[in-house]
Formats: sequence, C-alpha cells, structure tokens
Amino acid sequence: MGRENTVEEALNLLRSRLCNPSFVFKPLSDSPDSNYSKLKFIISSSVTEACNNSILLLGPRGSGKIAVLELVLKDLLLEFPDLISVIKLSGLLHSDDNCAFKEISRQLCAEHQLLFSKMASFDDNSQFMIAMLRECGLAHKTIIFVLDEFDLFAQGKQRVLYSLLDAMQSVTSQAVVIGVSCRLDADQLLEKRVRSRFSHRKLLFLPPSKEDLQRLLEHILSLPVDSTISHDYAVEFNAKLQKILADEKFKQIIITYMDSDATVNHLLRFLFRAVSYMDLGSGFLSLENFKTALSNIQRQPKLECIKDCSILELHILVCMKRLEVKEQNSYNFNSVMKEYKSIRASFQMSEYYAWNICLRAFEHLLQRELICFTDNRGQNQSVEFRPAKLLISSHELQQGLKSYRSCPAILLKLMDREV
Amino acid sequence: MGKEESPQVTRRTTRSSSSATVATKTCDSHPLTIKDLVFGEDPISLNDLLSSFPGRRIQILELVRLLGASNSPMLPLFIYGGSSSGKTSIVLQMFRHLNRPFVYSSCRTCYSPRILFESVLNQLLLHRKDAANGYLSAKRCERPSDFVNFLREALSNVINNFKGNSGKLGTKKLVGQADGNMVYLIFDNLELVREWDKSSTILPFLFNLYDILKMPEVGLIFVSNTSPDTYYSNMGYMEPIPVYFPDYTEDDLRQIFMKNQANRKLYSSFLDVVLRPFCRITRRVDELSTAFLPLFQKYCEPLHDLGVVPNEEMKRRLFSHLQPQIAPSLNEVFKVSSQSSPAAESNKETKKKSSRRKLGVCAEIDELDFHMSTSAKYLLLSAFLASRNPATLDASLFDSMGGIDSRKRKRKSSQKSLEKKENAEQELLMKGPGTFPLERLLAIFQCLTSVAEGSIDEEEQGDEGVQGGDGGLMSDVLLQLSSLCNANFIVKGGSCPLEGSTRYRSTVCEDMALKVARSLKFPLSKYLYRR
Repeated sequence: MGRENTVEEALNLLRSRLCNPSFVFKPLSDSPDSNYSKLKFIISSSVTEACNNSILLLGPRGSGKIAVLELVLKDLLLEFPDLISVIKLSGLLHSDDNCAFKEISRQLCAEHQLLFSKMASFDDNSQFMIAMLRECGLAHKTIIFVLDEFDLFAQGKQRVLYSLLDAMQSVTSQAVVIGVSCRLDADQLLEKRVRSRFSHRKLLFLPPSKEDLQRLLEHILSLPVDSTISHDYAVEFNAKLQKILADEKFKQIIITYMDSDATVNHLLRFLFRAVSYMDLGSGFLSLENFKTALSNIQRQPKLECIKDCSILELHILVCMKRLEVKEQNSYNFNSVMKEYKSIRASFQMSEYYAWNICLRAFEHLLQRELICFTDNRGQNQSVEFRPAKLLISSHELQQGLKSYRSCPAILLKLMDREV
Repeated sequence: MGKEESPQVTRRTTRSSSSATVATKTCDSHPLTIKDLVFGEDPISLNDLLSSFPGRRIQILELVRLLGASNSPMLPLFIYGGSSSGKTSIVLQMFRHLNRPFVYSSCRTCYSPRILFESVLNQLLLHRKDAANGYLSAKRCERPSDFVNFLREALSNVINNFKGNSGKLGTKKLVGQADGNMVYLIFDNLELVREWDKSSTILPFLFNLYDILKMPEVGLIFVSNTSPDTYYSNMGYMEPIPVYFPDYTEDDLRQIFMKNQANRKLYSSFLDVVLRPFCRITRRVDELSTAFLPLFQKYCEPLHDLGVVPNEEMKRRLFSHLQPQIAPSLNEVFKVSSQSSPAAESNKETKKKSSRRKLGVCAEIDELDFHMSTSAKYLLLSAFLASRNPATLDASLFDSMGGIDSRKRKRKSSQKSLEKKENAEQELLMKGPGTFPLERLLAIFQCLTSVAEGSIDEEEQGDEGVQGGDGGLMSDVLLQLSSLCNANFIVKGGSCPLEGSTRYRSTVCEDMALKVARSLKFPLSKYLYRR
C-alpha cells in the first residue's frame, strides 16, 4: 500500500514537472550566454537606468520563449518588487485594436487598484494608457508590455504598436515592449513608422544541443532524493533511469523523434506520454515505455484512414486513382461511377452495388477527408456533379492497400497495372 | 454517432442539451452545486467500462493512463477516429468511471464561438437557463479575450471550491505545486469549427488555450472526426497528444451486436449470414444497426419460438429464407438517417420495412411517395426539361405541334461523329444539369400545360381548357416555384453576370422526372433531347 502511494506520488511529480515549463527551462538558463541571462540583463538595466526599450524574442513554436521570459520576470519581480508592472497581451486574443487597448487598461487598473470601466471607449482607453505611462514614468516605475504572437499585432493598421512605441519616445515614459513571435521575419512586418520607433534587438531561441538535451532529460525525469518520496525508492528509480538514458537504443529513439521537430515542447509531449505508460506495479520507467510512446505519437493519419475504409470505399478510391492516371483533369462522382462500372464489367466482379450506395460510400470518403471537392463554391450543385480529387498520393494508396487486412487482390492488380 | 451502446448514453444528451437549452430533467429547480460538474450517475468500475465497449480495450486503458491520477496535471489530448467509433461515449463514460468534474460542449450544438464560450461558462458557473433569467447566459461573451478572462475567473473559483472541500473533509490532501482537483474541458466535434467564419482565429485559439490559461489544474480534451493533419494551417500551434480510435473490425462489430441480445445463439447465426457482406460496404455501427434490425425480424419469421437454440438444419432453413432478402437490402442500407432518437427510429424502421416489402414485390413502383399538386408537377417537369435540353432547341421542340420530329432527330444523331457524341456525354456527366432563367422556365411551362390540356380535351372533350395556362396562372406558378425551391427540387443559382437575372437549376434525377411524368400521363421522353 505504502509502495503504491509512493509510485503514484512519483508519477504525479513527473507529470506536473512536464506540464510546468518554468521547471523545464530552469537548467538551460544557468550559463552566462544563455538567453535567460541576456534577457534579464537587458530588462534589468532598462529598469535601473529608467529608460525605454524594446526587444523581440524569436524562435520556433515550443522553444520556450515565453517560459524563459516568465522566469526572468519572476526573478525581476522579486528583485524590484515596486518598480515593475507587467501587462501581458496575446495576439490570438487581442489582435483587434479595440480589444487590445481595453485589455491594457483593464490590466493597468487591476495593477494599480483603479476602477476599470467596461464602457470606456477606444479613445478613453488609449488616452488612459498614455497617461498611465507618463505617471509611471514620473514615479520611476517601469511597465513591461509582453506581446505574445507579436506577428498578429502587425496585421491591419498596427495602431496598438504605434501608440505604444510612440508613447515610449518621450523622455518621461519608462516602458519595455517585449514581442514574442515564432516568425523570424516579424520585424519586417512592421510599418515604416512603427519600425523606425522599434529598437531592433532580437533574441533567437534555438533548439537545445545534444548535451543540453541529455541534461534536460536527466533534470526532468530523475526524482529528488530529499523529498517526501521515500529515499530508497528515489535512488533506485534514478539508477534505473541512468541506465536507460545511457542505452544506445534510447538515444536512437530520441534522435528519431527529434528529427521532425527539435524543440523542447515537442520533447515534453513525448516524455509525458512515456511517463504515463509507466508501470505502476514495478514503479520504474522502462525502455518499453519509450518505445510504445514513440509508436503511438508518430502516426500516419492517412494510412490509418485507408485502413478504416470498407471494401467498397477502397474500390472508389482505386477508381479515382485510375482516373487520375488517365490524366482526366477533372472528374466527379458520375465519372467515377462510369469507371467503376467498366472495371466491374471487364473483370467480372460478382458483387454489385447500386448507385446510391456508392454515393453514400463517396460521402463517407469525403467525411474521412481522403477525397475532397476541388471547388468550394458550388453549393447549389448536387454532390455527384461537383468535381472531386484525391487527397492521398498513389504511393500512400498503394501502401494502404497492401497493409489492409484481406484486401481484394483485384484492387492491388488494378493499382499496379495502371492501365 | 455513438448511440450504439444505448443504455448509458442517454445522460449525454441531457448533458449537452442542459447547456444549450433548458435542463431537460424536469423542473426540479434545485440550485446547481459544484457536484453537478461530475457525471451525475453512480460511478462505474473500470471493468464495467471495458465490457460495455467491446473492441476498445486498448484505447480505454490508454486514456486512463494519459488522464492519470486524480490530481496530476495533463497536457491537452486530441482524440480522433471515424464517426461512430465511440469517441464521445467513451470519453463521457470515462469521466463517469473516474468521477471527476468536467465540462462538455459539442461544437455541433454550439455552432458559433459565442455560443460555445457561453455554454462552457454556463456550466462552469453552474448557471441554468430558465424562465426566471429569461433564458440568458450567465455572461455575455463574444470575443476570445473576454472568454479567457471569464474562464480564468470561473475555473479558479471552481478549483478553489474543490480545494476548500477537500480541506474541510480532511481527505487526502497532496503536497506539491499541483494539488487541488482537476477540471476537464471537453470540446467535441472539433472538425466543425473549421467551417466557422472565424475558424482561422478560433482554431489556433482553442489549441493554444492550455498555454494561454497557464493553469495546471485544467485538462483539455479535443474530440474530432478527422485526423490532426487536417487542421494544419500556416499559423501553427502546439500539437496536442493524439489518441487514435480505429474503426471497429468485423470481430469487434460481432461483439457489439451480440451485446444485449436475448437469444445469443440465434443472433450469432444471423450475424454469420449478414455481417460479412454488410461489412464490405460499411463498418459503421449506426448504419449497420439500422440495417440489421428489420433483417433480423425477417430472419426470425419462420420461427414460432424466439428462444429456440438453432441447430444446423434450422440454420440452413433460416438462411435460405433470408438469402433472397440480403441482396436488395444491401442496396438499401443507407436509406434511414442514423441520427435519430431510438423511438423515432423504431417508427422509421417499421415504415422502411413496409416500403421495402413493396420494393421486394414489384421492382418498379409508379407511385410517388409524396403529394404534389398537378401544376407543381408540370413545373417540375418543365424545370427538368429546361435543365437538360439545350436552349436553342426549345423552338423546334415546342413548336405548334409539340414534340420533335423523330426523323429529323435521327438524321442529326447520325451526322454526329461518335467521338463528338462521347465528348458531349462526358461533358454532361461533368457539368450536370444546366441553368436557365425564369422566363425560359415559364415559357416551357406554358407549352407543357397547353399540350397537356390539349390532350385532355381530346380525350374528355372537357370544356375547361380555355382558361388556364395564361396570365391568371402566373402568380400561382411563382408561388409553386418558390416552394419547389424550398423543397430543393430546383436550386436558385447565382445571377448571370451578363443578364443580371437569377438563374435556376433543376436537381431532379431522370428516374424521378419520369416517375412524375408517368403520374401525369405526360409523354416526357418525347420532349427530352438525347445527345
């Protein structure tokens, strides 16, 4: 009983670590030339020197930009508790100017214990923001604006960016604008008037190196020896983990997985899956866990879809494939039916399905998104006349047919011969 | 989808409808409490869960593992698989088994961002729409930004509530950063969001919701018909963890259909006969179950005692009885829409059965199975002709004598080279019925009615043939036209850029048109131009 609880506690600890980016990115921020140190230096110097600043954090999605920024902000809030207030916006939520100003004033009000009016107009809000910037500047308080998904703010008139950066041109204000984006060309999206007011400081976030990766894995997966989890168990767990981490097979798994996407968050998803497969009976991670996780997370959705199809649906797919080979530039359900009938006649297939059954199977294929209509406007045309196309390559179809259980031999032949 | 395991799923409908409309579970207006966020019925054990979903063992165990212990945080999940593969039912029953709070909203019933947001908030804020509050939602919320603010507030309220409860009761309180109970948000039918107006912002928003909220106590579960690769956009997002539900195999289907059968031996021998041929067409449980119900009744017809255990000889006899029914019913499988309640379904079932019997007896029925006024029928026919015939032939087809000269037509077709004919055929297949302006339709209509009245006059020497067909009929005809449009026999197309008038198109197939013509005793084929 006690053992079971321990294992569960350990599992919970691992899972909550994986869901907590600030824990994950902690060890990567020690070294003096890490992004963490650079970012912290820039912000803290602009806080202490009471100047305005702007900076862009760029890097692929999931490379930990926000996590590192949060770490920095947390430290700075501890260091200068009264000198900083943070306003966070996200391009996904506040790309609309009106919305953005409203949210800025709402957060400013919450920060400074002021009453926020929902009814305030766009103008009121933008004036309020500029006034607050001035007031805070006079009180030597820095406002840090974090703009997540920065590229989305650069859509449209960029009024938010302009008024923020323009307000920062005056001596009295004291603010830092931090843009976070996964588009490396984010600064090229800015209008001229905005770009000229933007300092072109950029921090690039790169995927971790091999050594970092190893360190990261160890950091995340090993249990603390000095906690509520029983000491003996933790030591044993860590010893087994070390063995796995050193295993060549494990390294190979990680390399295959990271091939497609080398960011840290991508790795976290894999680890999360592997950890949740941990055997609660033995209570230790095994290489098997990682193997199953890899096979379950790397999916081939189109092939799965083909495996789900019924035989009739496969027939229709093959017919469409044949039409494409014949270089018919566009075809619809009627021509598919014609092809189906001719195949049936020339190979003396015994089974016969009526027109409406085939139409229904065609609709199932549409639903599975193995095929789609080539035009999206023809709403007033009935299904059988709208031109369609395959969404899978002939290679995929061939592979799918081969791996299909009890696939009729005739279909494979029809695919191969390509008459 | 997902009404295959019928008994437990009833809760789901009440659940989603209680969020979208008034609570259907009568007006026992007890105030909703925090406990209403869990499934509501008694929790079931894991074994019950596994046995109620045959063929889904791997998926259920995997989900249980991914959801983890009661207080452990979770990365967003993405559950996908073909329709009628049990995704929604299993997720909901899973929460019944785990007895954890969750919020379920389907993007089918919540068909716009605003309704989706408000439905989630209503459930979290324990708000029920009723007459007292004028059926209003708890919060009015249209934008994602407002939604995130409200959601954060509501979630932290709920979570604090749980924490307070567990603290009071003194039950196991965990140490560590992630204590407190989890709340799960389930978004079903996510594939529909792609069709929404603002899909380009809503989808990345939903996928990034976990990162935006930054609350480890919230678990997100997306349920979708289509695979994750159909959601890719140039925007990009953090991919959730995929969990795949494959379609049932034939063996799984057998297990599913064997559930809750009174006479298992008999049903099993029935499945031996029908399951394989039907599986070649579809493996969807909902479609198969509607097809099997009448067939099984047919199968049992020769039996007096339904409790009988069939022996080999009887099996053979029953098989030979059913054999002739299978082929026609294979081609009928999809007649009944599968998304109906069980009661309505059984009604439909009987109706369908009777119609099938009719089909079985006489292959071609002349009767139309719906009522339509005579002038509407003529209008339908004229629309059909207008769509099929080239406009240039109207004059020769509908000259004073009516009908095309057969000799002339023959010569024409002989002049055409075979190739040309084939091309034209191909074109017809591709383009479908043509469009026509209103004036042409009315002209043809007048011709048809005058011809028909002429023939009636000849037959009956009636005296009413004088009026009609002319001006007096016009307003009536327009009314009929609009009702035909509503019934989707005729579609209104976009306006022609040159003429600027609206164009119409008939969607009726030739069989249907011939049927209508037969009911009027109208010689349609005489007027139909064959290429």
